[in-house]
Amino acid sequence: MTFELFIFYVFSAVTLFSAVGVVTARNPVYAALFLILAFFTSAATWVLLEAEFLGVVLVLVYVGAVMVLFLFVIMMLDINIDTLKEGFTRYMPIGILVAVAVAAEMILVMKSKTFDRPIPEAAPLDSSNTEAIGEILYTEYVYPFEIAAVILVVAIIAAIALTLRRREGVKKQDQGAQIRTRKEDRLRIVKMKTEAKQGER
Amino acid sequence: MLAEYLPVLVFLSVGFAMAILMLLLGSLLSPRRPGEAKDSPFECGFEAFGDARMKFDVRYYLVAILFIIFDLEIAFLFPWAVVLDKIGLFGLIAMGIFLGILIIGFIYEWKKGALEWE
Amino acid sequence: MDTLTTFLNSFLPEGLATLIVILLKIIAILLPLILAVAYTTFAERKVIGYMQARMGPNRVGPKGWLQPIADTVKLMFKEIITPTNSSKVVFFIAPMLALAPALAVWSVIPFWDGGVLANVNAGLLLILAINSLDVFGIILAGWASNSKYAILSSLRVGAQVVSYEIAMGFALVGVLMVSGSLNLTEIVRAQSGGLFGWNVWPLFGLFVVFFISGVAETNRAPFDVAEGESEIVAGFHVEYSGMAFALFFLAEYASMILISTLTALLFFGGWLSPFGTAMDDIPVLGFLMGDGFHWLLLKAMFFLFCYLWFRATFPRYRYDQIMRLGWKILIPVTLVWIFGEGIAIALGWQPWL
Repeated sequence: MTFELFIFYVFSAVTLFSAVGVVTARNPVYAALFLILAFFTSAATWVLLEAEFLGVVLVLVYVGAVMVLFLFVIMMLDINIDTLKEGFTRYMPIGILVAVAVAAEMILVMKSKTFDRPIPEAAPLDSSNTEAIGEILYTEYVYPFEIAAVILVVAIIAAIALTLRRREGVKKQDQGAQIRTRKEDRLRIVKMKTEAKQGER
Repeated sequence: MLAEYLPVLVFLSVGFAMAILMLLLGSLLSPRRPGEAKDSPFECGFEAFGDARMKFDVRYYLVAILFIIFDLEIAFLFPWAVVLDKIGLFGLIAMGIFLGILIIGFIYEWKKGALEWE
Repeated sequence: MDTLTTFLNSFLPEGLATLIVILLKIIAILLPLILAVAYTTFAERKVIGYMQARMGPNRVGPKGWLQPIADTVKLMFKEIITPTNSSKVVFFIAPMLALAPALAVWSVIPFWDGGVLANVNAGLLLILAINSLDVFGIILAGWASNSKYAILSSLRVGAQVVSYEIAMGFALVGVLMVSGSLNLTEIVRAQSGGLFGWNVWPLFGLFVVFFISGVAETNRAPFDVAEGESEIVAGFHVEYSGMAFALFFLAEYASMILISTLTALLFFGGWLSPFGTAMDDIPVLGFLMGDGFHWLLLKAMFFLFCYLWFRATFPRYRYDQIMRLGWKILIPVTLVWIFGEGIAIALGWQPWL
């Protein structure tokens, strides 16, 4: 067994272990931590496949951004852990059914003709696959790329529409106006006579 | 290429090992005298009341969601910036349109007041 | 290094020898780094002290030079308190999650031409990715402590760090457009040609944005609402003591030094001398004035000094001002700059190519 293969097995084992942990952990924060570990190890597996750009972006986007949101939601929504676990046994049969269906679909996809082609040759060692992606993403696949922008805008609008609530009676400061304030607007220097000294001895 | 990533992995493990070692060293050398007042959560001398894990303003989640979207944008910009001299004017215009669409979203966000803090 | 590898290979199995060499290199990076952290804390107290017409620490050792060591020893012998209502496991995972990424980023930082532990192609992206892991330590610490101040602080930091990461990412895109590579060594090499080859001149706005977001990312003054002592006592690490606190401290200062070094590498030519190769032929002066690690050290130290300078100069920002600065000023500035840079490149203007 080569060292590379050994690393691969270690990472796969950790990925599987943490994926199981996500489902079985009692506390949702632990589940989120397991999910971070699962994302991280799968990123490492991608790097092992020499897909460094995708691997690092997986860490950047999923671990660095998506998991922050997950943790925010889990930590701050005040979830009662006991009520969360109540339906676990009740929904078990449906869960198993879904799991079997997904597994069957995956096996069917893997067995299909699409994947039945020779393994492509590995890219030469010193080529950067960030460049390789860049060279085709913005030329050959420019249409899907622009569609991605539209989807992201839809996501922005949806997020704002769902979460933004105006609260009544909130006092706000307008920082722009605060910064633009000049001395002349606020301060008036008045010339006045000095008063006579009182009670000369 | 793989050989270049090994040191990063080793460094990360060394970082964790060092953290664990320091915690162990600290707990071995330090005294351990728990007390009720000492171990209670800090609250300016008051008795701590209620659980600290409470509901928070939804605005924090909004920031997190917007961050994901902009982070994806950065992930799209990185490979583009690297191959700029190879994809020529076409690539530049493609990214111009991409950013233009997203700036519309950004302006919407701004005008809607999603970036305001109350 | 190569001779050492061949020497170790002569009696050890192949993989083990490589591993030992990597570990030795890591120690060669870590030890100076930890020493630098220790003396940054000392410098901070001294510099701010003198800026406020005080002496700063001057009792321990000659002129106070042993102060950081005394601090370390003190922290080591302090009790590690675990609050009663805390989640014990997460409470101790949090400082580890804060420290390990803050140290691991240093694996891709080049110190001189070729002096880098992991010369990865996607270096800059990796730094951004590992850096984004830092926030977990803080969020989890706040949650695990189950203390109101800690949880308030962790929310604030979460939103703040995340907002400034966008501005930082956009600023990095500008650097990439000029240098055309994600590899840090390549980025520095692209800046050769003396003082006027550096990236600051064509990218001045992005440099300002990058450094400001760097200060905000590390939760330093004037953006230190995370630990604003007048409002939330010490923020996410109120409940931490002893070595557990030391880990957060180490992580924070390591990140500060990292941001300073990155600023020097990305915008100020890293190890390149401002005089270019003009003086290389003069015997001793040529070595000092030529490219080398000492230039990187000097530049990084200057930015580290700026950190302390800011802390002594600016009052703390209010939280809504911080969010406004990040979203409404820094991000638009970077976007406009990237557009301008794109147009300049399309027209073929020199300094941006």
